Amino acid sequence: MQKYKTYLAGYLFLLPWLIGFLCLTLSPIGASFYLSFTNYDLLTTPKWVGLDNFRSMFTDDYRMIDSIKVTLQYVFLSVPFRLAFALGLAVLLNQGMKFLGFYRTIYYIPSLLGGSVAISVLWKQVFDQNGIFNDGLALLGIQGHNWIADPRFAIYSLIGLSVWQFGSVMIIFLAGLKQVPGELYEAATVDGAGAVRRFWRITMPLLTPVIFFNLTITLIQSFQTFTKAFIISKGTGGPINSTLLYSLYLYIKGFTFMEMGYASAMAWLLLVIIAIFTGLLFFSSRYWVYYSDGRD
Amino acid sequence: MIKTKSAAVSMLTLAILLSACGNNNNNSNAGASSPAAPASSQAAASPSAASGEKVELRMAWWGSDERHEKTQKAIELFESKNPGVTITPEYSGFDGYMDKLNTQIAAGNAPDLIQMGGNIKEYVDKNALLDLTPYVGSTIKLDDFNQGLVQSATFDGKLYGVTLGVNSTSLMYNKALFDKAGVPVPGKDWTYDDLKNVAIQMSEKLGKGNYALYDLSSDSGAFASYLGAYGKKLYDTDGERHFEKEDAVNWFKYWADLRAAGAVVPADVQVANPPTAADTTLVVKGQVAIQAGSASQLAGWQQLTQDTLGLLMFPSGPAGSGMVPPLSGQYITAYADTKHPEVVAKFIDFMVNDPEAGVILGNSRGVPPAGKIRDALAAQATPVDQAMYDYISLVADTAPPVNYVQFPVDNELLALMKLTTEKIGFNAKSVDAAVDEFMTEVDKLIAKSKAQ
Repeated sequence: MQKYKTYLAGYLFLLPWLIGFLCLTLSPIGASFYLSFTNYDLLTTPKWVGLDNFRSMFTDDYRMIDSIKVTLQYVFLSVPFRLAFALGLAVLLNQGMKFLGFYRTIYYIPSLLGGSVAISVLWKQVFDQNGIFNDGLALLGIQGHNWIADPRFAIYSLIGLSVWQFGSVMIIFLAGLKQVPGELYEAATVDGAGAVRRFWRITMPLLTPVIFFNLTITLIQSFQTFTKAFIISKGTGGPINSTLLYSLYLYIKGFTFMEMGYASAMAWLLLVIIAIFTGLLFFSSRYWVYYSDGRD
Repeated sequence: MIKTKSAAVSMLTLAILLSACGNNNNNSNAGASSPAAPASSQAAASPSAASGEKVELRMAWWGSDERHEKTQKAIELFESKNPGVTITPEYSGFDGYMDKLNTQIAAGNAPDLIQMGGNIKEYVDKNALLDLTPYVGSTIKLDDFNQGLVQSATFDGKLYGVTLGVNSTSLMYNKALFDKAGVPVPGKDWTYDDLKNVAIQMSEKLGKGNYALYDLSSDSGAFASYLGAYGKKLYDTDGERHFEKEDAVNWFKYWADLRAAGAVVPADVQVANPPTAADTTLVVKGQVAIQAGSASQLAGWQQLTQDTLGLLMFPSGPAGSGMVPPLSGQYITAYADTKHPEVVAKFIDFMVNDPEAGVILGNSRGVPPAGKIRDALAAQATPVDQAMYDYISLVADTAPPVNYVQFPVDNELLALMKLTTEKIGFNAKSVDAAVDEFMTEVDKLIAKSKAQ
């Protein structure tokens, strides 16, 4: 009986979280799974259509192809650049410099702000025809361009914005770098290894678990990017679908075109896509991630 | 044993939690005022309002700052005349307005009063709007109204919306640019060839960075008018399209030629400065002479510039004018599940019939539908107001007596036209290839609308 009470107390304490999880996470997930097999226009009762939504996604939706192309381009460019940028800065900040805390904060700020609407609006101004970026190019004698309004370049301004939000990745890299034992570097120095060799032979191998973690998290986040594309393209994904990231297209389908069943199906397809890429990462990790505690 | 017990406890907790997820709102609503049936609830709702009980309503509309200010003033006036009633405004620009509304309706918490556009039928079909017929005559007085305006919001003999203003599509122009180029503003009898000549001539004289025309090829209203001028129709009551690929090719080709001649705004500039909002359009900034717009925007936009703005009809073609007779620009409608239909009806009547409210609201949604309000406004009309009145009467006199039917999934048609224009404008596709895709997708949209 005592045991029983203990359990009850435990669940009572968990209650706020459990309510949140069930009402705000689990039941919407269940609902979206059901809706993905229906034709649902938000206003009338969903109609069961079986696998029709999934079928037309692959056969009958030209925007879908554009959207997947753009999303893959975005993910495969923004993730490596963001990680490389973050790692580079983390290594620089790890040189035992003064005011480390200060710099760490400064470089973290874009990440705090980066997801916000305000920054996307700012970004739009910066890369506009009369924006600061073109002013800078003009100083170098280069003719500027309407970067976000041209389908050839629009996605790169989004990628740039994503790379700029390197802060949280950098903080985790910094923590990882602090874990590398100093005596390894000392020993290597004594043996005559230079800075570059020390980085590739000591830092990188010992950092692989952190790289793996950052890579996985950033990859998943990138697939789900929405705000930037929504604000910068005014919710259209244009010009010519060049910024139609998957989540944005999902939103347009659901809320603008009122095909919530289709949008739900898209959400589940995105889950599958992300699961495949994450699975590949985990599979590959056994070949390149080194755990110094003996697991490999 | 302990395992089974703990499992039982967790099941119990889950059961409690899941029931906590249930929608409590419905229960409390049913208890407090009345169940869903609107007819029976009228009696219950009206005395509660009269007895000074607090009535809280929400009202959603889109528009420019001018409309926001005027509408808020009218709401304040209504609140002071009806103590206990508060109306919370939810206003925005048109971008995203329908998205937000769709979400609110789906979630069951849409505003009590909703401004609707030409797509009112979609929402009537989906039972999202309140049938106002029971209030007509008693609360909402429409005797003074043009029957056509009442009919346009009547479906299956039931009235779902009240017109807020008569409006028309138009070409809005900035006169300063015509003066600068030394080209006279065209009259009412002009053709698409005239438009082309004027545009090319002006662009040559205006020089770099200034343009005669926005690219109107993505504007569904402009396209519909063009089709009308060439004896075709975008869409009709039979639910089919009434134009061929050739017509669409001619339309997009017309604009591609103008673009090549440097007479229209280049694609990237148009994407960055869309003509849809007062704060982004280059017509207000004095860099582009002509764009498409609705006539009721004139007064609001005129406030933002020293240049004189004016209105022109779309050009005519071999079949005459493709203009559509002036229509109801916007309706005020009520949410089907509003808790205070009686107060809502009272406010609807107030917006269109109260003389004070009429003066406050002015022409911000087009020419008011009630004759007495129109007379009151005409007596104090500014030159801008007068320009709009003249334009609306001109369209009324010119337009052939066609029965205009809005394309059913208008949102998607707009997105599709924009995409087609961009494909051609950024040289990603030839006119012919882009129009092929356009026609395929238009037919899919028509099939979709039939399936609904």
